[in-house]
Amino acid sequence: MTRESLDLPSPTFGLPVRPAPSPTRVEWRSQDRTFVLSVVNFGLACCSVEFLAAVQGRAEAMAAGTIDARARHAGVVTDDGPRTSIEVLVISGTCTDALAPAVKVLYDQMPEPKRVVSFGACSNTGGPYWDSYSVTKGIDQMIPVDVYVPGCPPRPEALLGALGELMRDHDDQRGSVTP
Amino acid sequence: MTRPDGVPAQGPVVSPRVHGVIALVEENCTSCMLCARECPDWCLYIESHTETVPATTPGGRDRSTHVLDRFAIDFSLCMYCGICIEVCPFDALHWSPESDYSEGSLLDLTHERTRLSGWRATPAADGPSDVREPPDPVSGS
Repeated sequence: MTRESLDLPSPTFGLPVRPAPSPTRVEWRSQDRTFVLSVVNFGLACCSVEFLAAVQGRAEAMAAGTIDARARHAGVVTDDGPRTSIEVLVISGTCTDALAPAVKVLYDQMPEPKRVVSFGACSNTGGPYWDSYSVTKGIDQMIPVDVYVPGCPPRPEALLGALGELMRDHDDQRGSVTP
Repeated sequence: MTRPDGVPAQGPVVSPRVHGVIALVEENCTSCMLCARECPDWCLYIESHTETVPATTPGGRDRSTHVLDRFAIDFSLCMYCGICIEVCPFDALHWSPESDYSEGSLLDLTHERTRLSGWRATPAADGPSDVREPPDPVSGS
């Protein structure tokens, strides 16, 4: 039986042109302003399921228990205070060396200001595949990572906690720049 | 309980057996290295040395005992399989449901013994009936 008779998809090389991933909008209240996080999930393996659970299911309820702010879906934007938009890239899953260029391209194409969340053991350090020949030993070899979320996979709430960590860091940096 | 903006104030109810983070009961650890050797990821670090306990009775022999110098788990590598917990003959490790401990630096995800011991306090107190109390420290030895 030949490969053609099985009607299997042929492997392709290079980066296919795809539509840009649609980000999940998360609204984040700081003391004096509102941040709108455009969270893009680059789901490479099983961890991306946890990402979906975090942003789709009962994100609001989970956010209330884990982070000290409101996380809301797109369309729910309040009117009070100035808003700052931040692009957040979440790498969830095992990044292989073959896919590493795609991660780099995605990061390079994101507009500033941007932050990166490494979600799960594989994107942190390679995780269980730390001695594999084909797995990147952490995405921070290619792109700067702001928050590392531990877990295999991390719980959905951990993502919202990581966004909280991200915004606290952002607030701290901002505070040091503008007294 | 609901906050004024309609968002429930409570977080999700998770089972206390959820694989959140691994807690260490330091007093129970005998530095036997079983967990470190069984770990499929090699993410446990144990260092110990031997001390001699002098004989307590006339004509008795001195005894040797292991003293733990370092116990660390690298949670940036850990695959949360729980084999270390299962294999520990002295119940020196147990699960804690805590999951919110992301860090800005990879190095901070390696929890040393004091931080691992800190997770002992976090098993859910009012969870379902499958709550497992952290084991009591083994006395003597």
